[in-house]
Amino acid sequence: MSNQRLYKGSLQTIILKLLATNDRMYGYEITQKVKELTKGQLNITEGALYPALHKLEANELLDVEVVKVGNRFRKYYKLTKTGSKETINKLEEMQEFLKTMQELVCPKFSLE
Amino acid sequence: MKLTEHQINELYIFTRKHYVYHYDVQTELVDHLANDIERIWIASPKISFEEARDTSFKKFGVFGFMDVITAKQKQMNKRYWKIIWRFVKEWFTLPKLLITITIFMSVYILLQFPISSYFILGALSIGVIAEIVMLFKVRKQRKVKEENNEKLFLLEDMIGSTKNGYTGLVFINLFNIVSTSRLDFSDSGFFWQLVFSGTITLLIILFNVVNYVLPEKAQELLEETHPEYKLVKKL
Repeated sequence: MSNQRLYKGSLQTIILKLLATNDRMYGYEITQKVKELTKGQLNITEGALYPALHKLEANELLDVEVVKVGNRFRKYYKLTKTGSKETINKLEEMQEFLKTMQELVCPKFSLE
Repeated sequence: MKLTEHQINELYIFTRKHYVYHYDVQTELVDHLANDIERIWIASPKISFEEARDTSFKKFGVFGFMDVITAKQKQMNKRYWKIIWRFVKEWFTLPKLLITITIFMSVYILLQFPISSYFILGALSIGVIAEIVMLFKVRKQRKVKEENNEKLFLLEDMIGSTKNGYTGLVFINLFNIVSTSRLDFSDSGFFWQLVFSGTITLLIILFNVVNYVLPEKAQELLEETHPEYKLVKKL
């Protein structure tokens, strides 16, 4: 998709939001969930997803759990307490951003 | 169709061939590739394991796993410094604070002598030699681990050899600065003597934490940092 770069700055917010609604998720699951929710409009690349997840982990917004699933280990990510608070902030920021963009792209005209 | 144990091991070898040396980073990538391969097989069941693996790998882009490795290293660097500060802080609370004050006072008294820079140069040389000896030991241990195909963890490597840059090189640089600037600490005035004493004390504490405390607590720290460490050790 040519509009992928428009989503780039929102990747962390997308991950936080997904984890807020899904308790715990693993990397591949996140890519598939995003694809499913956006009906294929947004495709999170592997090269962008893991660096974003590791950054969130380094900032202590995410916690990690490793579980043996079948014959392999799976790393699950879940929100920490700080992560939950940060999700709210990030979503508010996102709403503000969308509102501003809306005003810029489709300004409302008034006769006042 | 699910991947077999052998294919999972093949994926570990594949990540290793693509410059992913640490088990904790490999594990996440292996699970990702495995999930994707299984999904590819749902759509095209006739594709071979190797073909599906390569298709999946291409999705990581032209740099392959490099972006993931870099991000993981950055994250672990941050974590490593946090661990260091956790132990450094202990030296500023009782009872260790008394030792810190003693070191500080000893350094301060030492700086009153005109030949103090020679003492500092001597101490730095000892530090560099101690570091080289330790590095040899760690390299040897790592080699044995590699030969025995033991799993290496990123933090383990940081504690053992890279130490996030706080290695003998720092001392060599300090040695150069002190020897070329021909600093006479005894003539630098009260304020600067305090600053130098404080800095040297902090460097001594850091040296101790990085080279002795962390390697001693490596097992405990690895269990705390890598959730998979315990699971792997159980196998």
